[in-house]
Amino acid sequence: MILQKLLTLAWREIYVTFTDRSLLLILVVTPLVLATIIGSAFSGLIGAGGGRDVPVSDVSTVIVNQDQGLADGTNHGQIFIDLLVPPADLSPEAANAESILFELTNAVTLDDPEAAREGVSTGAYVVAIIIPPDFSERIGVSQDDMTIEPTTIEVIGNESAPISANVVTMVVRSIANDIAAGNITIASTIEALIDRATSDLGFGMEFLAANNSGEFNPDFDAAFTTAAASITIEQQTVSGDVVGFNPLVTFGSAQAVFFMTFTALYGVASLLDDRKDGTLQRLIMSPTPRWVILIGKIIGTFVTCVLQVSLLIIGLAVIGILLQGEVTFIWGNNPLGVFAVVLAVAFAGSGIGVFVSGIVKTQEQSNIVVTVIAMVFGILGGAFFTVQGIPIIRDLTQLTPNYWAVDAFTRLSQLDNTIGLNLIVLVALGAAFFTAGLFLASRRLEF
Amino acid sequence: MTTSTTMVEVRGLAKQFKAANGTPFFAVKDVDLDIRKGEIYSLLGPNGAGKTTTISMIGGLIAPTRGDAKIGGYSITKQPLDAKRLLGVVPQEIALYPTLTARQNLEFFGRMYGMSGAALKSRVDEVLEFIDLTDKQNERVDKFSGGMKRRVNIGIGLLHKPQLMYMDEPTVGIDPQNRRRILDTVLRMRDEFGMTVLYTSHLMEEVQEISDRVGIMDHGEIMAIGTVGELIQKIGEEDMLIFRVGTQSVSSVQLERLKTVEGVTSVTYEQTAKAANGEGNGSLPIDGRVVARAKRGRQALPDLIGLANADGIEIQSVEVREPDLEAVFLSLTGRALRD
Ligand SMILES: Nc1ncnc2c1ncn2[C@@H]1O[C@H](COP(=O)(O)OP(=O)(O)OP(=O)(O)O)[C@@H](O)[C@H]1O
Ligand SMILES: [Mg+2]
Repeated sequence: MILQKLLTLAWREIYVTFTDRSLLLILVVTPLVLATIIGSAFSGLIGAGGGRDVPVSDVSTVIVNQDQGLADGTNHGQIFIDLLVPPADLSPEAANAESILFELTNAVTLDDPEAAREGVSTGAYVVAIIIPPDFSERIGVSQDDMTIEPTTIEVIGNESAPISANVVTMVVRSIANDIAAGNITIASTIEALIDRATSDLGFGMEFLAANNSGEFNPDFDAAFTTAAASITIEQQTVSGDVVGFNPLVTFGSAQAVFFMTFTALYGVASLLDDRKDGTLQRLIMSPTPRWVILIGKIIGTFVTCVLQVSLLIIGLAVIGILLQGEVTFIWGNNPLGVFAVVLAVAFAGSGIGVFVSGIVKTQEQSNIVVTVIAMVFGILGGAFFTVQGIPIIRDLTQLTPNYWAVDAFTRLSQLDNTIGLNLIVLVALGAAFFTAGLFLASRRLEF
Repeated sequence: MTTSTTMVEVRGLAKQFKAANGTPFFAVKDVDLDIRKGEIYSLLGPNGAGKTTTISMIGGLIAPTRGDAKIGGYSITKQPLDAKRLLGVVPQEIALYPTLTARQNLEFFGRMYGMSGAALKSRVDEVLEFIDLTDKQNERVDKFSGGMKRRVNIGIGLLHKPQLMYMDEPTVGIDPQNRRRILDTVLRMRDEFGMTVLYTSHLMEEVQEISDRVGIMDHGEIMAIGTVGELIQKIGEEDMLIFRVGTQSVSSVQLERLKTVEGVTSVTYEQTAKAANGEGNGSLPIDGRVVARAKRGRQALPDLIGLANADGIEIQSVEVREPDLEAVFLSLTGRALRD
């Protein structure tokens, strides 16, 4: 009975929002348009996926290849050096002419990862790429080890040059994807197996026997499809911050959260509208406990927020595909993670909504307070321009749910799944405001 | 004394509010009420009398400062959900979700009264039929006329076939045709559905027409309770005979002579400016009235007219007003119901 009533109450909230065309225009279409416009201001970067239009060159890069390689001498980490470090005998001009990647980076190699990190933090390098010792072992496939295990390449960028660092990260990811997808590995693995079979008589016999009996039947396709997700590029600035990259991701998610704030805050505060309509009074005189009426409203608001942000995320993904001209998912490859962030930020927003509805007493107050909070959070959350460069503001942003949500979306879009802290902060923010506001908001149901 | 015939029992119900300037005052002062099953009980009182506050406490919307109300034996403060299940509500202000259709409003509130599925659907059909909005059921209520909204407002109260229906001034601000319709609806609730109706109004005529019993309310107090007949008896059942005399002035000697007619208890002369007629605006013409009170007014009428004629008073029109609740209110409070 209570559940039926909660659902009825929540359903009405959702229904009313999503059947109001002008409201939908504001809540869903406007942020998409804004995100596209702001994002297009960085359009040179949106198309950077192919690496041909990169407006960045000579990014001072250091590669530390710790890869121990495989027993047969295969060293996948070396591929990064081959592709990014120009051969010593080429002049810079000749190197640039030979490869866009040489033009992009002035890569050098180092052996000590600490020295590389240090170099980035002192500004000697803009980016350090650190390949782990077990890279080939984890990514490679051999007869003895048919599985591909997840591994992580660290890309450390100097925060003074986030865009350059991003571009390099992107290139690293693209190379890693190529390796994982087998373009390089499968060739070298099979090559290595055949090499060994021809040089090592014993192995050659085994290989042949296994091959004939069907026992050795590597399913490369399957292995390599899963491998696509296996290399995580962990991009960091020296201070540990992840640097935003795709402007559509950064501004898009910031816009989405910005517009969701309005939904969340107005949603719960619409108790005041219901009071004015007299429908709240009617509900209270129905056999429905007051807390059910309040919780129903909150659930309705929460679900509306979830649907709104989900729609925006999907819309932005479509725009991403249109802008990039290829089928990609700008939010990365972890849709569950994306949804978790959507849920968490909707929860945080609704929690703040509960609090706000507890402190505003009239619709006029609610209009002012909601707008001010949403704007401040939105600006701090980077809905309009990046504020990360301004030192004090940068710390303030961390007080907003917007920051944590945008940061989480950005991480996910960079295939970085370390969003645990973001989720915790968002849920904690929501819970804190919810608890503090629930009693205050319940007073809106007294007459 | 809760008996099986009592639907509503109110004891010592009081509500204190703070006025705009912060001083506390009692909008309802220790009201006692007993409403019997199946009767139409009206609270009659002028604006601000405390009618809405009283029934809002009975309906569980406003917490009483003290006292309690029971609906069907359930205390509204201690067993609010049980009490509210028996109650259908028609608020004074139209209380509908403006962007939902009539049907959606009905279905939504039906669910809030625990109805669902096919039963809800067919009941909504029935109610739509009853309030004569079947053909408009899928239109948004914010596109409705005032009268149509009022009907939906009533329909919601009827949905769960409540034993007690509370209707707070349901005829305010609507045209005579729709008013008639609503009054008929109220009578049908009692006669066809056996509902008890708690009705409030500041309009004497409709209260007089539909009520089995009336509580007269003023300044937060119930001044008198009874059937219309009982209340009128209380003030002595005198008819009022009103003679319009235009601009003539009538002397106290003439009035004394009129008073000698048998059965007449008092005769007064009143003057009212005729401004309402809108004739001219400089010096307002005076409209004079001689008002006589008598137990059996019609019997005294011929003698009064004859005497007046003989005395040179030119009577322009005569009106016999039988005692009504207006007169009762006047005699109880010294004020008119409508100001
Ligand atoms: N929430 C409130 N706070 C302060 N004063 C109130 C409140 N509600 C009602 N009042 C005051 O209490 C008194 C009684 O109001 P109430 O609405 O019960 O009168 P009513 O008889 O229903 O009048 P009406 O015919 O105008 O509806 C009025 O003076 C009103 O101004
Ligand atoms: Mg009222």
